[in-house]
Amino acid sequence: MSDIALTRPVPVTSEPPLARYLLIGFAVVFVTLFLFAPLLTVFAEALRQGWAGALDALRLPDAQAAIRMTLTIAAIAVPINAAFGIAAAWAITKFDFRGKAFLITLIDLPFSVSPVVAGLMLVLLFGANSTLGGWLIANDMPIVFAFPGILLATLFITFPFVAREIIPVMMEQGRAEEEAALTLGASGWRTFFTVTLPNIRWALLYGVLLCNARAMGEFGAVAVVSGKIRGETATMPTMIEMFYNEYLSVAAFTLAAVLAMLALLTLLLKSLLEWRHADLLAATRRH
Amino acid sequence: MRAGILRSPSPLPGFGLSFGIMMTVLSIVVLLPIAALLGRGLMIGPADLWDMLNSRRIWSALTLSFRAALIASLFNLVFGLMLAWVLVRYRFWGRRFIDAAVDLPFALPTAVAGIALTALYAPNGVFGQALAPLGLQVAYTEVGIWVALVFIGLPFVVRTVQPVIEELEPDLEEVSATLGARRIYTLRRVILPTLTPALLTGFALALARSVGEYGSVIFIAGNIPNLTEIAPLLIVIRLEEYNYDAAAAIGIAMLVISFAMLLAINAIQVWSRRRIGNV
Amino acid sequence: MNIEIEELAKEFGTERALHPVSLSIPSGALIALLGPSGSGKTTLLRILAGLEFPTSGRVLFGGQDATGLSVQERRAGFVFQQYALFKHMTVFENIAYGLRARKRHERPTEAEIGRRVNRLLELIQLPEIGTRYPNQLSGGQRQRVALARALAIEPRMLLLDEPFGALDAKVRKELRQGLREIHDRTGLTTVFVTHDQEEAMELADLVVVMSMGRIEQVGKPAEIRAKPASDFVRAFTAA
Repeated sequence: MSDIALTRPVPVTSEPPLARYLLIGFAVVFVTLFLFAPLLTVFAEALRQGWAGALDALRLPDAQAAIRMTLTIAAIAVPINAAFGIAAAWAITKFDFRGKAFLITLIDLPFSVSPVVAGLMLVLLFGANSTLGGWLIANDMPIVFAFPGILLATLFITFPFVAREIIPVMMEQGRAEEEAALTLGASGWRTFFTVTLPNIRWALLYGVLLCNARAMGEFGAVAVVSGKIRGETATMPTMIEMFYNEYLSVAAFTLAAVLAMLALLTLLLKSLLEWRHADLLAATRRH
Repeated sequence: MRAGILRSPSPLPGFGLSFGIMMTVLSIVVLLPIAALLGRGLMIGPADLWDMLNSRRIWSALTLSFRAALIASLFNLVFGLMLAWVLVRYRFWGRRFIDAAVDLPFALPTAVAGIALTALYAPNGVFGQALAPLGLQVAYTEVGIWVALVFIGLPFVVRTVQPVIEELEPDLEEVSATLGARRIYTLRRVILPTLTPALLTGFALALARSVGEYGSVIFIAGNIPNLTEIAPLLIVIRLEEYNYDAAAAIGIAMLVISFAMLLAINAIQVWSRRRIGNV
Repeated sequence: MNIEIEELAKEFGTERALHPVSLSIPSGALIALLGPSGSGKTTLLRILAGLEFPTSGRVLFGGQDATGLSVQERRAGFVFQQYALFKHMTVFENIAYGLRARKRHERPTEAEIGRRVNRLLELIQLPEIGTRYPNQLSGGQRQRVALARALAIEPRMLLLDEPFGALDAKVRKELRQGLREIHDRTGLTTVFVTHDQEEAMELADLVVVMSMGRIEQVGKPAEIRAKPASDFVRAFTAA
């Protein structure tokens, strides 16, 4: 018996070792330069004047008002979108009706509309120069340059997030389980809470996570409709812009760092969900 | 809209409620605003619309938005594919970390990305200083816009292609090798064509997102009219001047571009399904 | 071309897929590797093709050591269980693939490729389907196209992994005959893997019964039926 094949041949479905190392090296360098470097910059710039400088920035009344505004918006927009997403998924996956494909396209539409154009639409609809807007302002219910406008802008931008995560999962699961529950005498709501919701909970959580990240971070649409009034309609991202343009670099980057930490938390939770519940999210990943 | 007319009967309850909620939210949040923009366009009329758009500044802004998005998406097409390949096919220390990091542009607010990239590439920034001796200026030039859009678009390509690479049948690569093909030939003639539909979809998604991108771009762009002023910024400027008609005109032009790209994405999907037949 | 397998073993981590096995396959024979799943038959076939590399042992093709040869160098026509046809290529392009993949100075002219592909389409009795795509073919047609594609490279041997596994019973019977005919016309040493004893007995000149990574018995179908070498062989071939 001879000792052949000691030079371990390359597996048929892989590249030669050199190419492999080069590609891995490329991936590491690419991600470092394009993704990690900007992220690190945020924290480095925030701490340029030490922790004290960053903490001072967070104590600015404008910064605190912006943080409150952003949290409030997310706290309202995310549940609305989750409720919409569940309703849309239920209607679309449990029933057959005409125009369904078109409806799905409509739900996806905000993905391909520029945030600024989204803001523009709201200004045209509810702004002082429109009939509807004029009436609303006359009746003391301003939408543009006020809280409702920011909420609507955020809703528009994050609109497809939850629906698009749970529709594929519910599509894959079909209707048999719900039908079985009904034959066993469960009511519609009971069926939903005991059968449907447990099946989609991880996908729902996943969608809510992405929706929340985007809701807190939305800039373009909010910048247009909010009027960026300090202490009143400024959100964290728009406040970042104002600080930055006033050369209050540390303040801008400190707020940015808070949002960046939130993004990192989102990524962490998202990765955990993907590793733990890969099977239940599988339908989504395949599109 | 009662059951039985538009939909086939189903034993499951809640159609009225769920359909009602869906249509209400959809109408208020999406349909009404879009109607407002299109309605404004109709009121202005096509001729005036064209007159308003037909200026050098708007033309430059629209072509800049489209050109930069195209360049950045092409870049992402190539490097996103390589990244996706490495993440699926190779096992190395830190792979999961890099995999998770690919979603950073989805999770990081655009304004944050914008100021961070600007600080990095500004003449006194870390990258800016490193590139200056090479005569390269990134911040406040069109190249800066490319960099921002590469950041924004990268996950679209990677995340669209990745699952398709995961599901490639090893048989195809193996049979190609038994037929005498070298690895590079297999990659080019077997793998690449199989990935093409996903690559095109990812490319189109990245492009659609980049064309309208605002937050990450305005800080690094410099915003010089006719040179580095993107179309969304021009809308913002017009709105700040209370020139709603001019803003609406640019908005409609961008919406048309978005719709065209949405149609293109759908067409790609239909085409690939027919071609590869993996329904 | 005859194939010699000498003390071939394969481990996947701590798993022994193949205990040292030896086997000699005469030139031009039609051989069945018969066994249940996990018996090592597919691993053995894949080692012959160069898709898998043995932990120890040798493979000789026509008396020459082929153990270190890459898949590409082996020129073994391989047919996969699911055929692995390239979905984005027509039948013609599929069959021409191996010829076009050759280095420029070894590559036949386009006219020559066309002639060869058409000859192969006739051999598999499907002369009209060159312009179709794989998803427009029936299961049986796909199998024959995969066979033609493997033959196009003028292989030194033909290796088939469960070639009839994905077909329904009726088509399976027809195609068995088809494989026999193609084997007889080309005279290629042919090894196929199957878990179906009836298929092995009916089609092969020589049947190799395998179990748990070992060869239990080698013999003509009639010999195995008459004198099973072990209880396993008796049980497995008594259907």
